[in-house]
Amino acid sequence: MMESELLLNLSWIVTIAAILALSFVSFKLKSYVAILTVVIIATVTSIPALRALNGDIVGFLLQKNGYWGDIPVRIDGLSAWFILIVNFTSVTGVIYGVGYLKKYDNSSQKLTFHWILFLLFQLSMVWVCMLQHSLAFLVAWEVMSLSSMLLVIFDHDKPKTLKAGLNYLVQMHISVTFLTIGFIWVYLQTGSFSFEALPAFFGTTNTIWLFLIFFIGFGIKAGFVPLHSWLPHAHPAAPSHVSGVMSGVIVKLGIYGIFRIITFLRTDFLLLGEIVVTVSVLTGVYGILNAAIHRDFKQMLAYCTIENIGIIGIGIGLGMIGIANGSPVLYYLGFGGALLHVLNHSLFKSLLFYSAGSVYQQTHTRDMDQLGGLIKQMPKTALLFLAGAIAIGGLPPFNGFVSEFILYSGLLEGLKSNDLSQISLLVFTLAGLSIIGGISILTFTKTFGTIFLGNERSPLKHRPEEVSLNMLFPQYLIVAVMLSVAFFPQFYLNVIGSLLGNMGISQVFAGQAGLAGYSKSIAHINLYFLLFIVLIALSWYARALVLKGRPSEIQPTWGCAYVAPTPKLQYTGKSYSKSLGKMFGFLLTEEKKYKELKEGEIFPEKRTYASHYLDFFENRFLNYITHHLVYAVNYFKFIQNGRVQSYVLYGIVFMLAVFMLTVLNVLK
Amino acid sequence: MLSLILIVIASAFFTGIIIRTKSIASGRKGPGIFQPIRDVLRLFKKGVVYSETTSFVFQIAPTIYFSSIVMALLVVPFGRSKGIISFDGDFIFFAYVLALGKFFSIISAMDTGSSFEGMGASREALYSMFAEPAFFILMGSLALLTGFTSFQEMFAALHIGSYISYALAILGTFVLMMIAMVENSRMPIDDPKTHLELTMVHEVMILDNSGFDLGLILTAGYLKFAIYGALVVNLFIGMFPYHFSIPMFFIIQFVLATGVGLIESFMARFRMSHNAQFIFVLTSVSLLIFFGALLILGKFA
Repeated sequence: MMESELLLNLSWIVTIAAILALSFVSFKLKSYVAILTVVIIATVTSIPALRALNGDIVGFLLQKNGYWGDIPVRIDGLSAWFILIVNFTSVTGVIYGVGYLKKYDNSSQKLTFHWILFLLFQLSMVWVCMLQHSLAFLVAWEVMSLSSMLLVIFDHDKPKTLKAGLNYLVQMHISVTFLTIGFIWVYLQTGSFSFEALPAFFGTTNTIWLFLIFFIGFGIKAGFVPLHSWLPHAHPAAPSHVSGVMSGVIVKLGIYGIFRIITFLRTDFLLLGEIVVTVSVLTGVYGILNAAIHRDFKQMLAYCTIENIGIIGIGIGLGMIGIANGSPVLYYLGFGGALLHVLNHSLFKSLLFYSAGSVYQQTHTRDMDQLGGLIKQMPKTALLFLAGAIAIGGLPPFNGFVSEFILYSGLLEGLKSNDLSQISLLVFTLAGLSIIGGISILTFTKTFGTIFLGNERSPLKHRPEEVSLNMLFPQYLIVAVMLSVAFFPQFYLNVIGSLLGNMGISQVFAGQAGLAGYSKSIAHINLYFLLFIVLIALSWYARALVLKGRPSEIQPTWGCAYVAPTPKLQYTGKSYSKSLGKMFGFLLTEEKKYKELKEGEIFPEKRTYASHYLDFFENRFLNYITHHLVYAVNYFKFIQNGRVQSYVLYGIVFMLAVFMLTVLNVLK
Repeated sequence: MLSLILIVIASAFFTGIIIRTKSIASGRKGPGIFQPIRDVLRLFKKGVVYSETTSFVFQIAPTIYFSSIVMALLVVPFGRSKGIISFDGDFIFFAYVLALGKFFSIISAMDTGSSFEGMGASREALYSMFAEPAFFILMGSLALLTGFTSFQEMFAALHIGSYISYALAILGTFVLMMIAMVENSRMPIDDPKTHLELTMVHEVMILDNSGFDLGLILTAGYLKFAIYGALVVNLFIGMFPYHFSIPMFFIIQFVLATGVGLIESFMARFRMSHNAQFIFVLTSVSLLIFFGALLILGKFA
């Protein structure tokens, strides 16, 4: 126990030491210091986490009798699961990032600052999973939000990046506001900031509102629709290794928060579960619809993250319904599917962001319709992206299928209930999940096909080359872990099963055989994967045998007898998803910018045409609200008048007020 | 095992019967029903031509497409006899393996850099996406009705029921056959005999495939038809003894093939822009099956 405490304290001591070191070492060494520190933090925090996963729950008090009282630090299975995911993604992120930022070697200060923030970012994410004290939790949460915001604005000379950063900052603080309100409510009821007060609160107060407040607070971080609008701005703006880590894990910490609150929940599981499932299905469908139409491939990936949050949310809701029904199978399938999908998504989404980042680094554009045929210049990146694309579509034989299969099984299991509304909801969810799968195939065939296949659509300034091993290595590592999930799901399911058994949600479920025991099918999926691969290999071999010695020719693509095709004639990503966009025109607002031909304009000037899609919720609701807010707030502009004298006056008034109020015994 | 053999046999004549029906309906004699198989064998003997734009994706895609169909085939049961692979939730595996095949056939079309093939790919992705919820709601309703989640158990339990379950089976036939039409790019959705690339869906995607690869793709198409036919058969045969169910299998497959042939003879293809709506209608028919299942189970009480 002492040892774990030591290790965990080591994590922040190392960070401080590394921050000092980063400020002084020559910039060639900076990246090595960063990698080394991230690996050390990952190691020292993973050891207690691994112990906790084995059932040895780590817990101690930090800062005994300090100003905030005792701060309990605790790593149970749930925390451990998220800590390990955070650590793995941070390690791949920093290795990839070092390669990705090579071209910035001339801006030493920028890099120093970047790596310092990255360390703080990792440290705060890990500690968010451990702190069991509201105030300390909020501090860690805030450090996480601020450091990630500053990481996002790495290219702060671009106004768009700054805007995205500010957007992110504001939304994260709305999230914090909700969390703070929730924690203060608990404090007012129970008089304690420790997380142990939460079950006490839920045990005595019969309200769904506290859960909903937390759901909104954490949901903004996670990106549930309609709280998602920061994601599609922040992810494209950030450097790719940061977007990979943000999308891979920071979003998942919202999910962690929701999970954490659920472990404290005592009543209303059915209603809340149904709310969560409904919101999640909408999130999933909305996210993937938007992902399908966007041309900016990083924005596409950001929307796709929203979709996957929806899938995870479906699992969470199912698990809650399982608790309500007293059905252990549903509990394990729902929460288990959600937790496994958290891992899976953190893997393939960071892989996709890294490989997309490699494309961006080589081509300097995020518009997929400018690209094409990159598979010839960057074959390894193309293959890695393809692996990620297949996995994220939930297609066998990759890991995405395993978690989606568990969720489908959960949905089918839930159909055995007697409640009509529940059955209907689950059947709609089934349809929703399947349509999410269908559109994600459309999305990723489009993206892969447009970026990597065909011919180059417009000439690039530099000829793209395969990226360095430094950037490829973490991606191989991720693929290896992905395959381990696909081919050894039993291992992961046992871990999840035991962690769910010890989650302490309800004593009824403790000691159940777990996920793997439920169904042989889940445990045997890897055999079918293997069979499938053998089948492919056999047909490939047969093909090679048959084609041996046969004539094989290389000819131009059949162009319907048109002999002067140009790469411009190729189908673009935009046209690929145009019909889908039209069909869902009520949700996917397209904004076109062009000048109509005037009457009598015989010799028209050169014209431009631009079209892009707007986010429905952002455009219709958020912008509407903020517009009116700005209108109202305008009346208070006089306070911020730019004169230093007035600001000093405000300070004096404030101090006087504090003094007077204390003297008059209003403030105690 | 039985289903594998039966489906392979059925696939040998299914497309042939469609073509023959169409010929007879239009007053021609038409080729023999094994002509499609002869075509494939001829293709297997030929060399290959690759487009200069393509990469290895184009070469490996037909193999993966074919393997995915075979893999899906292994899941399909036949009455009492299970498929080679059978487990709880195997229909999900079935749908997703087919989706993987589709994924590769789509990117292989995009690999050629041809605008026509890109267009076909886009349509194929869109239409199959709309067919997905119909299949899942249908299967979900059957799971709800029977309490099982694997193909074989669901179909076996489905038979033991009232007349309403036969009504559901007929609706299910409609949905499955329509999905088969979407998946195989047949008439109301796509016209395989059209001569203009702009109006094709599936045919235009494989314009650049030749020789062995084209043969594989065609074989996969024949198998796919027979697979959906077998699913339809399964809706009806339940636990019948084999001497009864095996002839029934061939009769139903024959009827379905003739039906497809007749539809293709007397119907025009839908407008492309209406296709998606039409396919979405399938989802509502599936919902009808779902409500039927609720009715049978008396959940509306």
